[in-house]
Amino acid sequence: MDIHINKNNIGYYSTYLTVEKAIQQYLQQNGYLKIDLPVLSPTLVPESYLEVFETEFKYLNNREKLYLTPSPELFLKRLLVSGIGNCYYLGKAFRNSDPNATLHSFEFTMLEFYKLKADYMDIAEEVLNMLRHIAAIIKKSKITYQNQTISLDKWEKISVAQAFDKYADISEAELFDKELFLKKAKIKGFRTSGYTYEDIFSQIYTQEIEVNLGMNGYPTLIYDYPKEFAALAKLNPDGKTSQRFEFYMAGVEIGDCYSELTDWQEQEKRFSEEAGKRTKSGKIEHPIDKGFIKALQYGLDDCAGIAIGFERLSMIFANVTSIDRLKLITIR
Amino acid sequence: MKVNAGNLKKGDFVLYQSQIWQVQKADFYSPGKGSALMKTRIKNLLTGKNIEFTYKSNETVETIEVSSVEMQYLYKDSESLYFMDERTYNQYTVPITVVGDVSQFIKEGEKMFVYLHDEKPLSIRPPMSVRLKIIEAEDAAKGDTVSGAKKPAKLETGVTIMVPLFVKVGETVIVNPETGEYVERVKV
Repeated sequence: MDIHINKNNIGYYSTYLTVEKAIQQYLQQNGYLKIDLPVLSPTLVPESYLEVFETEFKYLNNREKLYLTPSPELFLKRLLVSGIGNCYYLGKAFRNSDPNATLHSFEFTMLEFYKLKADYMDIAEEVLNMLRHIAAIIKKSKITYQNQTISLDKWEKISVAQAFDKYADISEAELFDKELFLKKAKIKGFRTSGYTYEDIFSQIYTQEIEVNLGMNGYPTLIYDYPKEFAALAKLNPDGKTSQRFEFYMAGVEIGDCYSELTDWQEQEKRFSEEAGKRTKSGKIEHPIDKGFIKALQYGLDDCAGIAIGFERLSMIFANVTSIDRLKLITIR
Repeated sequence: MKVNAGNLKKGDFVLYQSQIWQVQKADFYSPGKGSALMKTRIKNLLTGKNIEFTYKSNETVETIEVSSVEMQYLYKDSESLYFMDERTYNQYTVPITVVGDVSQFIKEGEKMFVYLHDEKPLSIRPPMSVRLKIIEAEDAAKGDTVSGAKKPAKLETGVTIMVPLFVKVGETVIVNPETGEYVERVKV
């Protein structure tokens, strides 16, 4: 890897700064407290698919392992339990084993905000208003991205089940029955042997669904993921889906939102499943954040939160196709 | 040769549905659940058609061994580009649809690498940059000081690209032939 200086990106970088300013302004005007957070933590939330960066604090003969945080969630939820109220973080997050690509960087900027007494659809409203505010500051009522016009008048809303039916010809019955799903995937030409439902779901989602999202003149909100993809989201009353949405603009995934799981027992169960999968797949072992579970035991009020890839969102407003174009210095 | 899809990179030749394709773009992607993926854009070397295909990163993919041979680019017609291996005087033909827009930026008589598989030409290796003369461009209007402003300019190969306002007719510029983007002016 090397350090690259990209002075020619100054124009795009200035849009990046404007988007940042607009977001801070919008959230602060709407009662969200800005939270500054550590990026090094002694414990983490176990996530089976995420590799982390490990480092060490040294003092004389003492050694203590520390980890760069892949998400600010573990800190923000503690603060929510402590009664801090609606809040947000806009800062660095780190994900190892994610090679640099047009839409990826192992070190990136994340916007995460939480709203109390809200569910995922309340957050959808908030996000749309925030996007309009950014557009207003940039003085654009419509966004033009790679010759596509994106209007912020409304969301295009589609459920995951509707999207699989519409774009991949996989019916709701097939989507929620693992055996039927894998059978259908095989007929469609995907290699399924040795792979799990989650593996093939992700492959088809990426290959056939994602490319259609945010492509119809509006940002797309795709919601209600199968419970296997619930992560830290609440389940819906149907028992099959979780209260989670992702949103897309021009085929690019920008944000991921949950009605937050507040049941500490369910959370503890998911943690140990995730930690087990981490060990099995040979990922760096890190202490599990037990304090997070303890915080939930005190009681987390109903709330919802969203994580937004800040560079990706800025890319849309700056009309560039790679996050590198927004940066004056990149490590590649 | 079999490789893991996670190791695919731009320029690799792969077998997909029994045809030879060249990887145009390969992005590793971790979707949050399930195995990591490799999002690729691959180009069919018979038809020039591009498709997007998402592999599971640990899925095995058959890659094709190719040799790259330096040749002289002779000329093109409406369908193909013609090359000659200067050591053997053998001529090779590559369809324009396979080479794509890069063909608008290469000059007759220049040296270029051609990929061969079983002695058959597959495609060319686009040069990192090309130096081309500006043959048509408007003079910059005085007082136009907007930084980063651009104007169209026609290159000696006949293609028009956007260049900064200070670039003049007769000057030579460096262009990235894959993106068609101006890189810098050649200082004289």
